[in-house]
Amino acid sequence: MESRQITVIQAAAILVSTIIGVGVLALPLFAVQAADSGAPLVTMLGVLLAVIGLVLVTLLSMRFPNHTFIQYSELIIGKSLARIGSVLIIIFFSILTSLTAREFGEVVVTSVLRSTPVEVTVIVMLLLAAISTRNNIITFAYIHTFYFPLLLVPVLLIAALSLKNAEVINLLPVWGTDPKKMLKGMLTIAALFQGTFVLTAVIPAMKKPSKAMKASLWGILIAGGLYVIIVAAAVSVFGSEEIKQLLWPTLELAKATSLPANILERLDAAFLAVWVTAVFTTLFSSYYLTIYFISHLFRLREHKQFSYFLLPFVFVTAMLPQNIVQMYEIIESVGRIGLYITIVYPTLLLFISILRKKRGNPIANQMVDPNR
Amino acid sequence: MPTRGNKKKQAMPIKKGPSQTLEKLKDRKITADIDKTIAFIDEILGVNVDLTIRKFHVFGQYDAVIIYFCNMVNPNVINLDILKPLMYMPPHLQGKHIPIDQLKDVLHNDALYHSDCKYESYLSMLIESILRGGTLVAVDGLEEVFLFETRSIDKRSIDQPATEQVIRGPREGFIEPLGTNISLIRYRLQSPDLRIETMELGLRTKSKVAVCYMEGLTNPELVKEVNARLSKIDIDGILDSGYIEQFIEDNHYSPFPQVQYTERPDKVVANLLEGRVSILVDGSPLALLVPTVFSQFYQTIEDYTERFLLMSSIRLARLIALMFSLIFPAIYVSIISFNPELIPTEFAVAVAGGRAGVPFPAVVEVLIIEISMEILREATIRLPQQVGGALSIVGVLVIGQAAVSAGFSSPITIVIIALTTIGSFATPAYNAALALRLLRFPLIIMAGIFGLYGVMIGLILIANHLLSLKSFGVPYLSPLVPAEFQGMKDLLIRGPLWWMNKRPSFLQPVDTDRVNKQSFEELEASTTNALDPKNDKNQQGG
Amino acid sequence: MRIKWWIPIVKAICCLCLVVPFLTGCWDRLEIEERAVVLGVSIDAVSSDDANEEEDEVSHISGSIPAPSKGMVRVAVQIALPGRIPLGPGEGGGGKGSAGETVWVIDVVGHSIDDAFMNLQQQVSSKLFFGHLRVIVVSEKLARRGLENVNDYFRRNPEVRRMAWLMVAKGNAIKFMTATPQLERVPALYLMSTLDEGIRMGKFPKDYIGIFWSNVSKKGQEGFLPYVEMKKEQNVGIIGLAYFNDAKMVGATKPLEIAGYLGVKGVNPAGYRVYIQLDGAQESVMTNATHRRSKIKVSIIDNVPQFTIDIAIELNLEAKLNENVKINDPRILQSIEKKQEGLSVLFYSNLIKKTQVKGADIFGFGEYVRAFKPQFWHAHVKTAEGWRSMYKESKFEVKVSLKIRRIGMKAQ
Repeated sequence: MESRQITVIQAAAILVSTIIGVGVLALPLFAVQAADSGAPLVTMLGVLLAVIGLVLVTLLSMRFPNHTFIQYSELIIGKSLARIGSVLIIIFFSILTSLTAREFGEVVVTSVLRSTPVEVTVIVMLLLAAISTRNNIITFAYIHTFYFPLLLVPVLLIAALSLKNAEVINLLPVWGTDPKKMLKGMLTIAALFQGTFVLTAVIPAMKKPSKAMKASLWGILIAGGLYVIIVAAAVSVFGSEEIKQLLWPTLELAKATSLPANILERLDAAFLAVWVTAVFTTLFSSYYLTIYFISHLFRLREHKQFSYFLLPFVFVTAMLPQNIVQMYEIIESVGRIGLYITIVYPTLLLFISILRKKRGNPIANQMVDPNR
Repeated sequence: MPTRGNKKKQAMPIKKGPSQTLEKLKDRKITADIDKTIAFIDEILGVNVDLTIRKFHVFGQYDAVIIYFCNMVNPNVINLDILKPLMYMPPHLQGKHIPIDQLKDVLHNDALYHSDCKYESYLSMLIESILRGGTLVAVDGLEEVFLFETRSIDKRSIDQPATEQVIRGPREGFIEPLGTNISLIRYRLQSPDLRIETMELGLRTKSKVAVCYMEGLTNPELVKEVNARLSKIDIDGILDSGYIEQFIEDNHYSPFPQVQYTERPDKVVANLLEGRVSILVDGSPLALLVPTVFSQFYQTIEDYTERFLLMSSIRLARLIALMFSLIFPAIYVSIISFNPELIPTEFAVAVAGGRAGVPFPAVVEVLIIEISMEILREATIRLPQQVGGALSIVGVLVIGQAAVSAGFSSPITIVIIALTTIGSFATPAYNAALALRLLRFPLIIMAGIFGLYGVMIGLILIANHLLSLKSFGVPYLSPLVPAEFQGMKDLLIRGPLWWMNKRPSFLQPVDTDRVNKQSFEELEASTTNALDPKNDKNQQGG
Repeated sequence: MRIKWWIPIVKAICCLCLVVPFLTGCWDRLEIEERAVVLGVSIDAVSSDDANEEEDEVSHISGSIPAPSKGMVRVAVQIALPGRIPLGPGEGGGGKGSAGETVWVIDVVGHSIDDAFMNLQQQVSSKLFFGHLRVIVVSEKLARRGLENVNDYFRRNPEVRRMAWLMVAKGNAIKFMTATPQLERVPALYLMSTLDEGIRMGKFPKDYIGIFWSNVSKKGQEGFLPYVEMKKEQNVGIIGLAYFNDAKMVGATKPLEIAGYLGVKGVNPAGYRVYIQLDGAQESVMTNATHRRSKIKVSIIDNVPQFTIDIAIELNLEAKLNENVKINDPRILQSIEKKQEGLSVLFYSNLIKKTQVKGADIFGFGEYVRAFKPQFWHAHVKTAEGWRSMYKESKFEVKVSLKIRRIGMKAQ
């Protein structure tokens, strides 16, 4: 068992940098497709849905502060059933990893490195994540904390710079047009928050698991806030109709802004370069989660040996979508399925554990050793 | 299973070589017969020209011999403090007969003027002592010999530290002998808590290694770990503290130094007071400081002697220079070769003009100029000082200008490389600057393959490596990650001294407080305008 | 325990396998001097008969892969000549000042924009690079034919910036590429700075290509573009706004009517000067607008949107034409204000009417309806076409209030 060192701030940072990733680039498009000018609202609703899901997962994890998800699901519903669930989760997160890598690879290949094969950009990102997963969970937390400011700065900078071109009228009416489509949009946006499931791996290493709720709320609120800011900025600059014509509105937003005094004339390539870190952290989380769960499923102490073992599988999965349109279709449907896995399944577990009055030991003091 | 084979290796020390003679003599004691003693020593050390063996008579009665290496001792001490009192019987004893069994006490208590004197009877110890610069006096009939600490090695004077000069602050630097260095520390830190433990390392060099720390302040676990790591070193020679650094660092394959070195005694004291452990080696003017975090490499002692506002901005400038020296050429390459749309149109067109005749792609061009710059820099260090200074400045200018006019490189490349090189000189720690200089090359190559995307990938790899590094368990990037508010005050800026009232907590010191905040507040509150013009007695008349 | 000796070898081979592909890399490395940096593009419509003769069959072969039947275009590009533009300011007497030598202008024909660029690439050795494309000029003829293809091509190309200028030229657009204005080293940059400075001096609204695209996409707004003409001395003049229905140009305003547009939208800073005739033709003064503010309100009356536009403008008195008028009395200033207010209301209303006739709502009144009266919008308008017809029937009420604040350094 690793020692308990992760603080509340670090846990929140893990959540934020896990959530913020390549999804942000296409996010305004999803939101606008669902609700036109009501895009910020639908984003907020999506965030709300994700908050509910995360709160449930956090509650569940806090009942078993010494166990990982794999372990306590076995305690709650028995070994054989829980194993099926665990395998599903592992498959889901490895697919999520590959889709994230593929999506970013496509972005890079379309916009910046136009003649580089997409395979190369994908494998580079995956390798980067795989190398990094050989660290323990404490370093995992350090890495996320370190990159956390690097996510905030570009998003806030671009939002602030685009204020110059913003028109409030584009955001009106705030409730959008079609309430029926909004529900679907909510689900799509909530699906972007599936990385929060990483919290189940973080809580067993937290210094004070009782404060996990604080961390998860802060984390998801910061990330959700950034999402809303980005969507609002994009819609107010472009208008909802124009966004429907753009594949990656956030990237286009970076293109439409320039730093004062012409230091950089356009920000898209620079933004994309900085965004590599954001994508890396997301990828890192889901990849780490996958091998972490695998090692727990097989009751191994070390997860390192899986980091390269998994690489070929993830890479091949990433190469399966034939084109970019199909890729987005797959991403959307995988996201839907993911909601069942990351929200509905833990919720079920939570209720069963409450009904069966199962509960893990509160953390014993012997685990906390300040010198280690 | 993970530690397979390790146990075996540890148990088997390296072969002892010619010191086997000493090993053989290990348990042999000398006899009362000095001729035998002389014969022994003569056999082992007699080949050496500088070995002096001189026979004489103690108080005119007893045969005796004095043996030493003539170039390692102070002849005055030998002549006046040892030989003279041994030959002349003290006045109050004159006429008395001294029996042989009392002779030892009499010599020790009444005759000898030399303070550092001890008895020894093991032959191997005698040899070792003579080798170290001691003097041996054997008296016929005594089963033990006298050993005097008479070592006197020529040493240079205490100079300004060559690599860590300051404008404001002490001007003393360490020199080679350990004793002097310890004295330099002790006179700055006159505290009973200062502990200096010594041990000998190096099978053949027998270098003295001193471990300094503050009792009741430094975490005892750290001291234990340092000693444990030091005691595991098994090597024939320790010629400099750098040898030790390479053994005790945590990650041997990392380009980043995990142990800091310094030649400033004041820096050592400051670090001891923060709760670090310092390791000094006899014969090396550089002290090691552990554990080390990255932020130490861009801090200088001057940051603390000058006022905080000025030094905070200078520290920021230094940090920018450090980043410059790492990423500037890589960014240049990626903008020129991949994303020229980022720079203003007019400039882009002009840059294209400047590069028009250059035969190589930007990445090759930058690599060539960078490598020649490194060669130049290395050559400057090797050259005699009189030539070196001229070469460094003129060489760069002339070669740069010539390269441009020969169409070998574009003028902007020269500007970029010059900025980068200057930037790398602004980093106070040579070894950290070296690491960044080294990492610049992979970054340039990444930039040549993937442009900005590649630079970012490279930077992420470097950052992840830094984040996973540890120095004696302290995360390398603390206090940034894991975030620690107290430490942040001394990270990017240098906070006022009274803000930093706690020692860095990542060192986990036993005693945490270092500035009494309250007394500072009292100081602030109680200042008065002593020389307010309205109180000026001389002016009041007029 | 025997160490498996082959493990390190397998690891090394794996590493090699991963690294080797990168060595073949540098897929995208293209040195800046190897790119043909396109600074400006002009697009003219040409009749198919003239063009067919000089066309190369690059993207299609007559007969086998049929080309689209829509009229053909002539595309001219301005490519920066590396080496001709010196690095750094001046460079002694070397810079000859003649702008014509810093760029290279070539033109080709094609069935579509992409086709034309393909033909062009066939002729130019370096790869065309659009990252620094600042100005796109289309001829009025092409604009009236429709800009869908232009919009689509440049929107799809990731190199093109959203801050470039798209403009409509009176007459042939290619003239703007070959022109050699004296102020800038690079002609395209001069064209660009004409418009950029226009924004700064309050003479032109922000209308980068990105904003134009957004406006075209919006349901309740139509796009407009700067309408430019070649003046003498190879200079460029902005002669109005070319307004569009969807991507088709339907008309153009007069230059002063740009001020009308800016006034209705309340764009700052303001910068147009107008004559105010007081009592007789002799007694005219000129005023300069310094600050504009406008408020647009919409209400629905009888299923027709009714707009109330409140425009407030602050003025400085700039000049008078003779000494008869004394400007040391607040009442005189007030009378000037009154006079100008009356004229302005008429001026603004006329401009709006002019666009109403064509159904080209360049002001975005429809957006106000969509934003503030969503029920009405859903019931009666819904689409861009719906708004186009609704706009023709909309009612407008313009209120103008003017304030003269300063009269310059002269006392009367």
